Amino acid sequence: MNPFLVVDNLAVDYEAPDRRVRALDGVDLTVEPGETVGIVGESGSGKSTLGSAVGRLLPQNAQSVAGTMSVDGEEVFGLSIGGMRRLRRERLGFIFQDPIGSLDPTKRVGAQLKLALRGRGSAPDVARHLERVKLPDPRRVARAYPHQLSGGMAQRVAIAIAMASEPELLVADEPTAALDSQVRDDVLSVVFTLAAEAGSGILWLSHDLAAVGRRCARVAVMYGGRVVEDGPAAEVLARPAHPYTDALAGSAPAAAAPGERLQPVPGRPPVLTGPSPGCAFADRCRFAVQRCAVERPRPVRVRTQDVLCHRAAELAESGALAAHAPPPSRMAPVPVPVGEETT
Amino acid sequence: MRLFSWWIRRALGAAATLVGVSILVFLALRAMPGGFAETILGPFASEEQQRELAQRYGLDDSALAQYWLWLQAALGGDFGTSMISQEPVADELSSRLPVTGQLAVMAVLAAVFIGVPLGVLTAVRARADGGGTVGRLLSGLGVSLPEFVLGSIVVFLFSRYALGLSVGGYVPFGDDPAANLRAMILPAAVLSVFAISATARTTRDAVLNVLVEPYVTAAVARGESPAFIIRHHILRNAAAPVVVLITTITAYLLGGAIIVEYLFNLPGIGSYVVQAVGRRDYAVVQAGVLLAAAVFIVLNVVADLLVGLIDPRLGVTATGRQT
Amino acid sequence: MVAAFGSMANLGGDPAELAGARLQPPSPEHWLGTDHLGRSLVPRLLEGVGVTLLLSSIAVLATAVLSTALGILAGYAGGALNDLVMRLVELLYAFPSIVLAILVAAVVGPGRPAAMAAIVLVTIPLMTRLVRAASAAVSQRDYVTSAIVSGVRLPKILVRHVLPNVSGTIAVQGTYALSVGILVEGGLSFLGLGVQPPQASLGVLIQEGGVYMVAAPWLIIAPGVVLILAILSINVVGDGLRDRFEPRETRSLR
Repeated sequence: MNPFLVVDNLAVDYEAPDRRVRALDGVDLTVEPGETVGIVGESGSGKSTLGSAVGRLLPQNAQSVAGTMSVDGEEVFGLSIGGMRRLRRERLGFIFQDPIGSLDPTKRVGAQLKLALRGRGSAPDVARHLERVKLPDPRRVARAYPHQLSGGMAQRVAIAIAMASEPELLVADEPTAALDSQVRDDVLSVVFTLAAEAGSGILWLSHDLAAVGRRCARVAVMYGGRVVEDGPAAEVLARPAHPYTDALAGSAPAAAAPGERLQPVPGRPPVLTGPSPGCAFADRCRFAVQRCAVERPRPVRVRTQDVLCHRAAELAESGALAAHAPPPSRMAPVPVPVGEETT
Repeated sequence: MRLFSWWIRRALGAAATLVGVSILVFLALRAMPGGFAETILGPFASEEQQRELAQRYGLDDSALAQYWLWLQAALGGDFGTSMISQEPVADELSSRLPVTGQLAVMAVLAAVFIGVPLGVLTAVRARADGGGTVGRLLSGLGVSLPEFVLGSIVVFLFSRYALGLSVGGYVPFGDDPAANLRAMILPAAVLSVFAISATARTTRDAVLNVLVEPYVTAAVARGESPAFIIRHHILRNAAAPVVVLITTITAYLLGGAIIVEYLFNLPGIGSYVVQAVGRRDYAVVQAGVLLAAAVFIVLNVVADLLVGLIDPRLGVTATGRQT
Repeated sequence: MVAAFGSMANLGGDPAELAGARLQPPSPEHWLGTDHLGRSLVPRLLEGVGVTLLLSSIAVLATAVLSTALGILAGYAGGALNDLVMRLVELLYAFPSIVLAILVAAVVGPGRPAAMAAIVLVTIPLMTRLVRAASAAVSQRDYVTSAIVSGVRLPKILVRHVLPNVSGTIAVQGTYALSVGILVEGGLSFLGLGVQPPQASLGVLIQEGGVYMVAAPWLIIAPGVVLILAILSINVVGDGLRDRFEPRETRSLR
């Protein structure tokens, strides 16, 4: 089977009045049909830009300056406007960070879902779609305006809208970042259950390495506009092969044993104005050597992972990167109890 | 219930503003230098004549008593008698209202049917690199063209080169619609330039603000077409500031009409009030200014009502206007 | 700036001088022709521009000072003071601008003071509202709260913390107010209720030009064009300031 999404050396720049900022600096990524992939990175790592680029949804001051990205063989940045629209309509789905903001404030929920069903939806259809995302009392929700919903309920509506067309790939940009921690897991369960039923792949953009590791089959870690490590979720979490992933795993509260100190990643992520001359992480890396600052690393294979690091093989052999406690095994989608949220 | 009490409070507030405005106008005109008697009778009138006149018009009473009398009468639709023409002000105003009203309605229609589409179009076509500059310059020019300059030029062009439309020669619409429109189209067009440009600018701003909303991005991400997104998601969300602007403009047009009526020699309220200012005709100025303010206040309440209907978030809980 | 406007009125010769024949078209001698009394239009126009700009600038300066004081106090203090200021502002806001200007002219009597007072009263409501809104927003911020908690005195808080954050609004609105001021002066003088001849202002020149428009169109074209250019360029500056203080992202529907 051909991969559904292929990103090859993609570079994207934002043009500000006074300067140019490089958001993606040569991203390589492949997503197979139906695969669940987590993209993990700090703010500014380029993960949101990558997610928007999949649907060519970048702001007008952004432009792709190098590389290619294709969805099921179709080059995204070369598609006609109509072709792009068809691609978004038929094969892609998106969920965004701000659940209430991504619903039209002047339309009732039912009317918006009906629009997303392209006028084919009857009232029972609308109710059925709302039921599928485990919303209690779908008829009442259908009559509500977005501002009358809680964040969790609004995000379920957004999921119902995005999944109504059974997309082949669902891009979820921090879908739970704006939600209370209690409802996060429930919302994620709904996303992964519906995607599994429809056979949709998932590209989940998140800053939470551990959370992504629990749900996704694969994890790609982004730093400075590149994917620095890419491999099976369990492997990446348990035995990181890139110093940045290692630092990230060490800074996560969940990864620390009781009594152990959390290790913050020192320094700040870089703001690139053009192609990075070397490894973007070199400044913050405790293993950096002179070469790291001047030569761009090429992908190397370490065990099951593809890694962008000059010293990856060497570090793996020496065992300098600590092994982390294995994450809890991937949770099977759990049915969510209904009725836990109120307006 | 909450909605109901909100509207009552809103209506009471509007009424209070109207009373405040009437007091302001009343006091302002009493503070005028050079009394009415002097204006009417000339500087050489005898004391006797002045006293008689003052008595006849109640100018001797205290300010409060005069205001109270006037307010009572005004509430009954009697705005007094013009001190110059001796005609009831209310009659004069109501015979002139259709002229000013027609001008305003024509200009507002132009604003809605030309200004709004123009604003939407320039916003949707706008690019980060400053592509919408032409539209922006044109609308900038439009709001910079005062009626008295534009109107003078139009009057000059049409009276000199006989371009087929007459200047002046007002005929009531009921008497001869074609002749009425021929006389009104130029003044209305002069008024419309500002109305259209201001509406286009506000619409453009409002649409640009909506374009960056996540729900628009979400609609684009669902593969909807621009026409679909504009119709279903943008128009209603961008409507609130445009509705507020158009009501403001309507009131402004009543002011702009003053200049246009003066220029095109139309028998509207504006030209009546301007004449009255020169002649210190209290009752007329009071009634005219009050009418303009009342229209504005009522339109504001209407705008609140419309905005509440358009945006469900603003209806009840918000205080209407952000004061 | 004020001095520059003032001295401009003295350039190009004496505006009152009867320099030539009446209603002459533009010539090498009188670049913009002469008016109905035989005065050359160039010095008249310079005087007019000077008078209009000077008068509008002083009025807008007054508006800016009053609006800033009222808006910051009302926005910061809230409560009864806020209600009072907003009531007054709303009262003024209920008059269409030319109507308010005419009312002022009726009370004060036609002339320059009337034009200035009219500009102030017309421009004050919007500016006060916006300054108040900006200052109310700033007053809620943490650094203002922390300044209050740490015992900084009120005038210092207002000047140090609130004023700098509303200065953008004041600059943008002040610019727009200047163009409104020029329009109000023009309209009022055009109706014969503002600046009085023989003194020139843009409104006076346009009114005089209108009378002789058919015989001598240059008399209205020159001041008309100057007025439009003045307003246009002031608005462009205002838009530029606004874009600078409130930059915005653009997105495409495609």
